[in-house]
Amino acid sequence: MAKIRFIQHDGTEHVVEGVVGLSIMQTARNNLVPGIIGDCGGNCSCATCHGYIDPDWVDKLEPQTEDETVMLDGAMHQESNSRLTCQIKLTPELDGIVVRLPISQV
Amino acid sequence: MSATVTEPVQWDPYNPQFFRDPYPVFRRLREEAPLYHNEEHGFYAISRYVEVERALKETKALSSARGSILEIIKANAELPDAVFIFQDPPIHTAYRTLLQRAITPKRMNALEGQVRKFCAECLDPLVGADRFDFIADLGSKMPMRVISMLLGIPEEDQEAVRQSGDDRLRTEAGKPMAFSVEANISGNAFADYIEWRTKHPSDDMMTELLHAEFTDPTGTVRKLKRDELLTIVDVVAGAGNETTNRLIGWAGKELADHPDQRRALVANPALVPQAIEELLRFQTPGPAIGRYVAQDIEFYGQTVPAGTAMMLLIGAANRDDRRFADGDTFNIHREQRPHLGFGHGIHACIGAALARVEGRVALQEVLKRFPEWSVDEEHAELASTSTVRGWETLPVFVGAAAKGVTASSTKAAPVAAASTGEASSLEGTWNLVVKGPTGPQPTVLVLERKGGALVGTQTGQGSTSTITDLHVDGNKVSWVNHTTKPIKLKVTFTGELTGNSMSGKCKAGFMGSYPFTAVKE
Repeated sequence: MAKIRFIQHDGTEHVVEGVVGLSIMQTARNNLVPGIIGDCGGNCSCATCHGYIDPDWVDKLEPQTEDETVMLDGAMHQESNSRLTCQIKLTPELDGIVVRLPISQV
Repeated sequence: MSATVTEPVQWDPYNPQFFRDPYPVFRRLREEAPLYHNEEHGFYAISRYVEVERALKETKALSSARGSILEIIKANAELPDAVFIFQDPPIHTAYRTLLQRAITPKRMNALEGQVRKFCAECLDPLVGADRFDFIADLGSKMPMRVISMLLGIPEEDQEAVRQSGDDRLRTEAGKPMAFSVEANISGNAFADYIEWRTKHPSDDMMTELLHAEFTDPTGTVRKLKRDELLTIVDVVAGAGNETTNRLIGWAGKELADHPDQRRALVANPALVPQAIEELLRFQTPGPAIGRYVAQDIEFYGQTVPAGTAMMLLIGAANRDDRRFADGDTFNIHREQRPHLGFGHGIHACIGAALARVEGRVALQEVLKRFPEWSVDEEHAELASTSTVRGWETLPVFVGAAAKGVTASSTKAAPVAAASTGEASSLEGTWNLVVKGPTGPQPTVLVLERKGGALVGTQTGQGSTSTITDLHVDGNKVSWVNHTTKPIKLKVTFTGELTGNSMSGKCKAGFMGSYPFTAVKE
């Protein structure tokens, strides 16, 4: 298990326990965390699971694939620490990761 | 309390009664037969949220390669690769990847100003009238204009192609769309446009798709062929227009039925995006999606055998109380949770971001001008197709005429502008639109007299064929067209002539019957 701290745009926090191997997007959906849509179910094809990774955690992630970079560029309100959370699989090292959510996905 | 004997629940997708209000049956399916088997029509159906979501993600056992419409699955038709919505990976992936990069949330939201302008152009002329039609005046027009713009059809050309139809048919509200721009931008005219755009590149999506390289299903890196591009644009534009039109219609209907929630939106337009999500959940325009069962798959401990068809009842899943508290209640204030209105998984609606922008802006612009409306129930019509459920025409009373004013105090129901009864001949060029299962399908019918006999051709999807069995009896006309694209079909048209317009039904082989309208040039 690995804890994820989601912080909504309005500051509301949701701390959820995620299963190692599942994506951050799927964990958010499974726990009904508002602010993540994830229509395409983790196929990197809708850009509606966009989140900002807390700077302390950015370097612990696998780098973006070309697919993710292209789709992320199509997400709303992109920042330098933006990621598509369906592309980040939980590992024990990510226990405690902090993900901020954009004002809107669409 | 006395027990009542109840028949086992039955869901027949072809029964118009179920179509009108499917929700009581959907509720019973969820509770009494979460894995439902319809022996007569040879399919299974699932209706609870968790299982429908799981099934949408299951692309091996539940295949899209035979289509996602029950009739097509049962017909075992072979569909072109570029009809990627009816393919599995890796064919689906090749085309989808190419297209989805052109349709991202950021790019679609950048169109907001244009969408707003188109809505204003539809709605401004109606201000001061005592009625308008959510479908004829807005839903059937605005999404088509957005698509035309995205594809880079110059504004002046859009106007020209729309003119011939609008001159005759836009005069009165409260009448279903009889003709529109799509008739003129598909088929051969559209192919010509692609050729022209090839030579005159712009910064639009069409230019991008013309020049983009992709890895095709065989692994070759290449550009799209012309016929592939035509197919993709037709499928995507058709599916997108029709469904967004239905979303706009449901906004008109549900917010008329729930005036308190409509007033809450007028008071606080920031609630509009969540109202759109609630509309998509509560009245999902595409309430049922089919899959071919390619491998045995288990639901609730029961095996669904390979070789059959499975219906995923999105409209039922979106009202499942297990997922949405009090699911049969329309409530724009409910806790926001993802719904399945756009599907889920690799086939999730590729135009979702555009639909959300269009829905949101359309509703905002309607509310700004018409804070009060009520449905003219007598003239509202629900359309029936295999894939989409929504209003074919939704006339509403606005302003002082709204809220249960009797028919005598309002204008009489408008009549078709073209029905002047003047004697007219069949000879000529007809822009004919079939309201098919994936949206409006434009064709051009050319009728001429040769050696005393009336003969004709029909062009659609870039291919032309000679029509057969042409019969004329008074104002009744019928003929047969054997189409080759996108699939081989015998299509029988039966219509009634009124001046320079024609309307009726066409029976498209195994795909069922669909209404059509035609206007002579």
